[in-house]
Amino acid sequence: MTKMKTTRRSVLIAGAAALALPAVLSAPALAVTPAEIKAKGKIVVGIQGDNPPWGFVTSAGKQDGLDADIATLFAKELGVQVEFVPLEVNNRIPALTTGRVDVLFATMAMLPERAKAVQFSKPYVANTIVFIGPKKDKITTNEDMGRYTIGVAKGAAQDTQVTKNAPANTTIRRYDGDAPSIQALVSGQVQAIGGNIFYMQRIEQARPGEFENKLEFQNLYNGACTRLGEKEINAAINSFIDKIKANGELQKIYDKWMKVPVHKFPDSLEGITFTAS
Amino acid sequence: MNYKLDFTPVIDGMPALLMGCLGTFLLAICGMALAIVIGVGGVILRDSKIAPVRWLVKAFVEIIRNTPFLVQIFFIYFALPLAGLRLDPTPTAIIALGINGGAYAIEIIRGGVQSIGKGQIEAGLALGLHKAQVFRLIVLKPALRAIFPSLTSQFVLLTLTTSIASAISAYELTSVAQRIESDSFRSFEVYGTITLFYLVISWVMMRFFDAISTRYFSYPVK
Amino acid sequence: MGANEFLFLLTGLKWTVLLSIVGFIGGGVFGLAIALLRVSGRPLIERITSGYIALFQGTPLLMQLFVVYYGLALVGLKLDAWIAVAIGFTLHASAYLGEIWRGSIEAVPKGQTEAAKALSLRYVSRMRDVILPQAIRISLPATIGFLVQLIKGTSLAAIVGFTELTRAGNIVSNQIFQPLLVFGIVGILYFLLCWPLSLYGSHLERRMAIAAR
Repeated sequence: MTKMKTTRRSVLIAGAAALALPAVLSAPALAVTPAEIKAKGKIVVGIQGDNPPWGFVTSAGKQDGLDADIATLFAKELGVQVEFVPLEVNNRIPALTTGRVDVLFATMAMLPERAKAVQFSKPYVANTIVFIGPKKDKITTNEDMGRYTIGVAKGAAQDTQVTKNAPANTTIRRYDGDAPSIQALVSGQVQAIGGNIFYMQRIEQARPGEFENKLEFQNLYNGACTRLGEKEINAAINSFIDKIKANGELQKIYDKWMKVPVHKFPDSLEGITFTAS
Repeated sequence: MNYKLDFTPVIDGMPALLMGCLGTFLLAICGMALAIVIGVGGVILRDSKIAPVRWLVKAFVEIIRNTPFLVQIFFIYFALPLAGLRLDPTPTAIIALGINGGAYAIEIIRGGVQSIGKGQIEAGLALGLHKAQVFRLIVLKPALRAIFPSLTSQFVLLTLTTSIASAISAYELTSVAQRIESDSFRSFEVYGTITLFYLVISWVMMRFFDAISTRYFSYPVK
Repeated sequence: MGANEFLFLLTGLKWTVLLSIVGFIGGGVFGLAIALLRVSGRPLIERITSGYIALFQGTPLLMQLFVVYYGLALVGLKLDAWIAVAIGFTLHASAYLGEIWRGSIEAVPKGQTEAAKALSLRYVSRMRDVILPQAIRISLPATIGFLVQLIKGTSLAAIVGFTELTRAGNIVSNQIFQPLLVFGIVGILYFLLCWPLSLYGSHLERRMAIAAR
């Protein structure tokens, strides 16, 4: 390594430069509209890369999963190419709000606190957030979670749910994504994790017979996300979702990944609007 | 899109961020201490009479210096439980930092020791100095002086590296920041602010090391 | 681990190599400019460049990537993720290389500059024909050392979600649940990339040490 020669003055200048950056950043950028996306010829979709069957990259390097299928269908509806940007759980909303992606089809559970930061569409799939623990243990109440070291994916719905429901002094470890949190359970770094209904399939492959879903938190619905105030693209997604619910396309995707009938979706959720204003 | 910067979550989270800085210092200081132990031990073993020991140290240095810290920390974190050792993320991070810094320390310390010529030691003895005096004045102090700049800038680098320990959920500044980010979704504001924090941390460290260097290692030798 | 998974890791390796090359070349071009400005003899310019260097050497690469990754999009530059990441590495590398090369330009004996001036060589030719060729030779070991650092640093692109070798490893390890095997292989791939460079760097260093004796 080179010897660092840093004077007080140069650090001050560096600090000043870093502080000045936000001033440069206030330049407004244009909202994305369906017309713009069509003109561009492609839609940039933020998606999960390591959370099967929602969104994952296959070992052949192809983006796949339920979210990928729905996003591809939406792109087809617009008549454009789809470009996937696999995101870490915790980076999904920042990637959207800072304009890295046009839209999120990224296992985004519709939560009121998120609705303050992004615009949700109508729900297109349902999910349940669960607490997974050792099979042999008796876990029936939220209080029981306090006995475990619990892993979650940073900033995911299970992070919110476990943090909210577990006793205050519970040890919660937060990892960069679904995959490392499952890895932590499998390797024994944590004894329990928060996850979704599909986690158990994957855990069974690695440590069969040892874990099971112990607690169910509230049922959640996933929607697509756009930036706040972008009315046109939100409207386009909503009418697309209505269309695939009506014409059976959504059921086909459900059959492929969820293997259950399409859920009944609520017309409204507390604290969340489906339509941009 | 019209993004408005909003630093409120950062300001509200300031106490937590400052605690996170302490966590970063803890990781860095413990990591450095372990790195020095590994460094000194490694230098002794590196010149061992037993060839396989020398090879092992050499291989250790090369492997650690030529692979990314992120891969090392994942490996250690997921490997330790298989060896029956289940440590919390923070001790694991300290071990990983110590191993990483130690590999560099071995090379740096070794260079310093080699910079002392045999002739100087003989000259010292010829001048009638005690063995202890020779070691202190002719071997230790000049060697420390020689390695001090590179060792300390390696330590500053190690301190910056602690941010990667957030990947295994160790307690330090970056993980606290990520917590605030995932509650507020203000990634740019949060990361921008803690970037400044790191700048201050590394500046304080450099000043501190510089002060030590002027106090103890400036010519003429006292 | 099957052939498919291994091929996927190799795809990740390809991005690691590309990212390193782009960062190194971009960083080299800007780094040279930084180094020259840093020794320009104009106090204001020297201070600004030294501030630039202090900023990048005094903060974690991970933070630099986060800030550049999100910051570029905020100023309205909608670039592909990989270009944004490449810009981050270019800035990072330019600060480090600038500092390394500043040191080696200053290590060229002053007499060389004076002699060149006496021969009435202009700045461009003085730098290009006299100073830089010597400075580059002096800086080679440190430059190669930094290249190794840069290759390893590209692993952090994984945390912002770019699928290079480390993230590919994460994905594969999550499919087959053998973290030790996967991260072992990932480590070996990095090692194969970096070790020859390290060996070459220390070979040059030794040769120069001998020549200097």
